[in-house]
Amino acid sequence: MTIVNTSTSAFYERALMGLNSLRGEAENLQSSLASGQKFASSADDPVASSRLRQLARGTTLSTIDTANAQRAASDLQLADGAMSSFASYLTRVKELAVQASTATLTPAQRVSIGAEISAIRQNVIALANSRDIAGHALFGGEAGGSAYAVDAAGNATYIGTATAGELPLGEGQTVNRGLTGPEFLNFNVAGAPTDLLAVMKTLGDALQGGVADPQGAAHGSLDALDAGLEKLTTAQSVIGSRLAWIELTNDRRVDMGELRSGEEAEVGGTDIASTVAKLQQAMTVLEASQASFSRLAQLSLFDVLR
Amino acid sequence: MASDLLSIALSGARAARIGLDVTAHNIANAGTDGYVRRSISLSEVSGSGIADRGQDISLSGVRLSSIVRNADLFRQAEVRRTGADAARAGAEVRGLENIAAAVEQSRVYPAMVDFEGSLQRLASDPTDASLRSGVIEAARTLSGTFNIAAEGLDGVADGLQFEATAGVTQVNTLAGELARVNLRLARASDASSDQSTLLDQRDSLLEQVSKFGTVSTSFATDGQVTVRMGSGTGPLLVDGGTANPLSMTISGTDTLTFSLAGGPLALPGGSLAGQALSLDKLATVRSDLNALADSVRDAVNAAQTAGVALDGSTGTPLFTGSGAAGMTLAFSSGALLATAPAGAPAGSRDPGNLDALRSALATSDPAGGLDALIFDISSTVSSRRVTQGALDTIAGNARIALEAQAGVDLDEEAVNLVRFQQAFQASSKAMQAASTIFDTLLGLR
Repeated sequence: MTIVNTSTSAFYERALMGLNSLRGEAENLQSSLASGQKFASSADDPVASSRLRQLARGTTLSTIDTANAQRAASDLQLADGAMSSFASYLTRVKELAVQASTATLTPAQRVSIGAEISAIRQNVIALANSRDIAGHALFGGEAGGSAYAVDAAGNATYIGTATAGELPLGEGQTVNRGLTGPEFLNFNVAGAPTDLLAVMKTLGDALQGGVADPQGAAHGSLDALDAGLEKLTTAQSVIGSRLAWIELTNDRRVDMGELRSGEEAEVGGTDIASTVAKLQQAMTVLEASQASFSRLAQLSLFDVLR
Repeated sequence: MASDLLSIALSGARAARIGLDVTAHNIANAGTDGYVRRSISLSEVSGSGIADRGQDISLSGVRLSSIVRNADLFRQAEVRRTGADAARAGAEVRGLENIAAAVEQSRVYPAMVDFEGSLQRLASDPTDASLRSGVIEAARTLSGTFNIAAEGLDGVADGLQFEATAGVTQVNTLAGELARVNLRLARASDASSDQSTLLDQRDSLLEQVSKFGTVSTSFATDGQVTVRMGSGTGPLLVDGGTANPLSMTISGTDTLTFSLAGGPLALPGGSLAGQALSLDKLATVRSDLNALADSVRDAVNAAQTAGVALDGSTGTPLFTGSGAAGMTLAFSSGALLATAPAGAPAGSRDPGNLDALRSALATSDPAGGLDALIFDISSTVSSRRVTQGALDTIAGNARIALEAQAGVDLDEEAVNLVRFQQAFQASSKAMQAASTIFDTLLGLR
């Protein structure tokens, strides 16, 4: 636009427009430096802001996934520890059964072995009813309260649910949060289903005079105890592999988190070097226009004409 | 001889005085809004020869023929047109920015994510009392932020309507003023300083009206203006000495319609048009927000009623009320959250129903819907900002072009001061010469 005739007010208005826009630019750069964010509101860059919202959502949900995974891991570690105890009790019971099956023992000795097995069985029931970190039955599936109920006759029955349920680990991955009692205490002996607590009760009762031939009963129980130990070992390795799976998803989550924060910094963060350079440029131009404006504004013919 | 040196010099001195007066007037009004620079137009006074005495010299000096107002009708019309567009864009961007802020700064999106997160956390132990109350608190925050967003939108609507109402009142006041100026222009004598002042007033009023709504004007020879609003065939706002009232109605969804002279009025520009456009967008945003709030309520309530609470009783709805403004919590006890599927016993840790709720929320995806809503508003703001920037530049340049042509240049006025001062001094010199000649004649012996 060529302006042939410059009126005084037009000069001031033009100068004001220029100075205002430079000042606004400098202030925007300053605020993005101060906040560390490239955008003051979504309208500054709608696409990037939407991406930032989704990334923030991912971060929030991922934090909860981490907490859930830690919880599942501690429950599984508790179960693992409990199973090691099961295994050592079972080994002890098997030793006692082997001892009781030898013919050299007196009936009194067999009775005391039976009493020890019964005592061990009480410990095993208590262990089967142990609680997880939230205070629920560790091996009771999704039921509240205990996993096993013991009736007046001493028979233990499973009262939990059929499965332990799954816990989401994020990004569609889940893990079984534990094992139910029957999953590692029930097994088949010679095609017939039984469980470890029943086997131990039968053995303890038999050695304490419940049957006519305690030695035979002790001998007969060895197969069942072997099968129980095998089942327990299998279950323990299942738990180990689940813990490894949680570890794997944790690593993956950390990787994804790093990617997310990298993208967040790239999309929404202020590039300090370039912003400072731009600010310096804007300030230089602003100072120059202010200086030239004040020089031009001083220029009045009235001062010269006398 | 018909010429009189003294009276010629007097007319010259008088013309120079008027020139100085006009220059001083220009300098005094250098900063006045809407003032158009005046200049004087002089014409020679000389008598034509009478019959038989054609060779006679008949010079009578100079007279002021008119005071010229240096207005350019085209540039003024451009200032009005571009000013109306810039005012519309400005009002629209302001309104839209407020709408975006109302939705975004209510933090309804983070609240939605937190609600989803609290459900996810509850999945780790559905019977945990603290996790259950975490869900309740997240739900309370969610309904609270929906309420805040709805209230924010109501506030924006009230503000825009208030501004539009004030604008309509202002247009009617200005139209009344224009009608009065028209009447006085009809009586003012041509090229008088009175007429110039009235014309200045007329142009300034027209520019003020155009800030509120697009006007199209036609001028009569005596300076009276006929103003139509909207397009060139729109209804009449001012015709001669009469002004038609502009009125505005607010619909149930807070949108605006204008009517003028008994007929509907479509406004392409001006702040009123910008406010109407913002309110149209606000109505869409509000219905979208209400739909999202309802979808969250329906998904959560459907899942709640399908499951059983911690005590084994059938679940009850968590949210009541309709729309973003009406959303409230129906209960505040975490034990009433129905995490277990129907038929589960009391105290069940079965998260079947919680999983159903989470997958229902994942399907209806209210967080995604909110993200899309915020994206929609903010991208509208962003694109309108670009338009506003362009229109502002165009309007600013049109204004500067008009001012450069019609405004006062102090340097030029300084030159004029010197010029008219010299002319005055020269005329007084002529008087002195006349006096000397007279003295010479008297001194003849």
